[in-house]
Amino acid sequence: MSNETTKNVDMTEIPEKLPDGTYEPVLTKKDLRRVARRWNINISTYSYTYQEACSVVYATWPALQKIYRGDEEGLKNSLEYAYRYFNVTPPVAGLLLGAGLAIEDQRHNDGLAAEQDLKVGLMGSLSGVADTIIWVLIPTILGSISAYMAQNGNIFGMIAFALYGIVFLAWRIYSFWGYGYDLGTQLISKLADKISVFTESVSVLGLMVVGALIPSVVKITCGLNFQMGDVSMSVQEGVLDAILPSLLPIVATAICYTLLKKRVSMNLIIIGIIVVSLLGAVTGVLVVPA
Amino acid sequence: MFFESLAVALIATFFQLDMLCSQTFAFMYVLPSWLVGVVLGDPMTGLQMGATVQLMSFGVAGLGGSSVPDYNKAGMIGTAIAILTGQDFSVGLAVGIAVGMLFMQADIVCKIFNGFVGKWSQNYARQGNYKMMIRTIYLGPIVYGLFSFVPVFIAVYFGVDIVNLILEAMPAWFTTGLSVAGGMLPVVGMAMLLTYMPAKKFISFLIVGYVLASYVGLAVLPIALIGIACAYEYYKLHANDLAAATATVAMEGELEDE
Repeated sequence: MSNETTKNVDMTEIPEKLPDGTYEPVLTKKDLRRVARRWNINISTYSYTYQEACSVVYATWPALQKIYRGDEEGLKNSLEYAYRYFNVTPPVAGLLLGAGLAIEDQRHNDGLAAEQDLKVGLMGSLSGVADTIIWVLIPTILGSISAYMAQNGNIFGMIAFALYGIVFLAWRIYSFWGYGYDLGTQLISKLADKISVFTESVSVLGLMVVGALIPSVVKITCGLNFQMGDVSMSVQEGVLDAILPSLLPIVATAICYTLLKKRVSMNLIIIGIIVVSLLGAVTGVLVVPA
Repeated sequence: MFFESLAVALIATFFQLDMLCSQTFAFMYVLPSWLVGVVLGDPMTGLQMGATVQLMSFGVAGLGGSSVPDYNKAGMIGTAIAILTGQDFSVGLAVGIAVGMLFMQADIVCKIFNGFVGKWSQNYARQGNYKMMIRTIYLGPIVYGLFSFVPVFIAVYFGVDIVNLILEAMPAWFTTGLSVAGGMLPVVGMAMLLTYMPAKKFISFLIVGYVLASYVGLAVLPIALIGIACAYEYYKLHANDLAAATATVAMEGELEDE
């Protein structure tokens, strides 16, 4: 993070390249907090085609303006990258986007490719871990506490849950993006040639978590029964579970993955799933998971 | 009835935008229902309704952009219906959950609309019209807010009658089908995550994670810890390879330093 002396930059002065090919970083903690506040437009801009990219543009806009002051061409190039698909568990986006800003702050357009690699390389793994902790683990624990207390007319659990949310938000705005920025600075200086190994290692963790998530998050249950004389056997329990637990969720994930890889649009896939679900419900092949 | 509906619709819109924006009260389904209960003069019903939908919601997080039943609005509308019509708790709950399912469709519509918003905004960016580039993006939260305010107002203002009308028009297979879809839709998020990662290269770790969860029955956190261990070892192994390669080059170049 740059120090106090560079806090006020002349917005008309064109940034100059230093002898080592980098630029003088201009972003301050205050700038990063501003970006963090603006990131709160969040998934209200979510679309299947851009995902969170519009929010990236909206949030990082003041920082980009400052980095590329007086350099319209550089700004336009940077925006082209910012509009590329980006999708990560929103509360931890600051880690990747802050790191990206750190890279751009030093390298300007020369850093765009590395920034994109870092963002795309880490967003899946980071989401796998962060979704699990922030959207599944914590809401399940705090949610069940507040729900059980609420059933007895006690609002304390609910208030504790809300306080957690407020503190977590304040921390995200106040310091989290700074960690991202520092991470970015460290990654390009210390890991420089090891960034690819680093993203690969994180992928190892991410894939293990996703492998664990699929059977617990995706719920598909077959409602058919085999009738052999007097004996009736549930296809789900007698056949599918015997072959492989969570067989249907795995098959569905594999199909969905293949379709996405073949660039079938996400809208089509979602509509397809709804149609299959409706057909399954009409015929009784699929039932509501227990 | 008008002011009650207005209040509930405003609360619903606030929590909808919070869920999409600052996410302060994300996945807290007790609080909104309780607030609706407080405003309508029966906090207990709100608490009970919120607790019920909170417990129903477990395991259904909207990951990776998938749409899930809107438990928040299910709880709020359920509370409002139960209090305002004096009907039984379960009637309110049934209506609330049904409306929550409808909001899943509204969510999909909003996400498709936002695709156009992104296109418009990017066009402005390319033209160098940065003011409009930023302003266009605001359409996302505005449309989401309207999609929240208007239906909730209608549902509460016209009450059980209109909801029943909609529900009667909706056959059982349709509501069952939507629930089945609710269980299946997170698959999109999972598949999406996989496309961002080198899934083919590291498929072994995907399998290990699955086996640990399905057969060994470990929770996700211990699995994540094992994952961290593997990632660390992988990093050490390959970073050293890199270091060794660099060292060899350095040795050849500057032997006198060794």
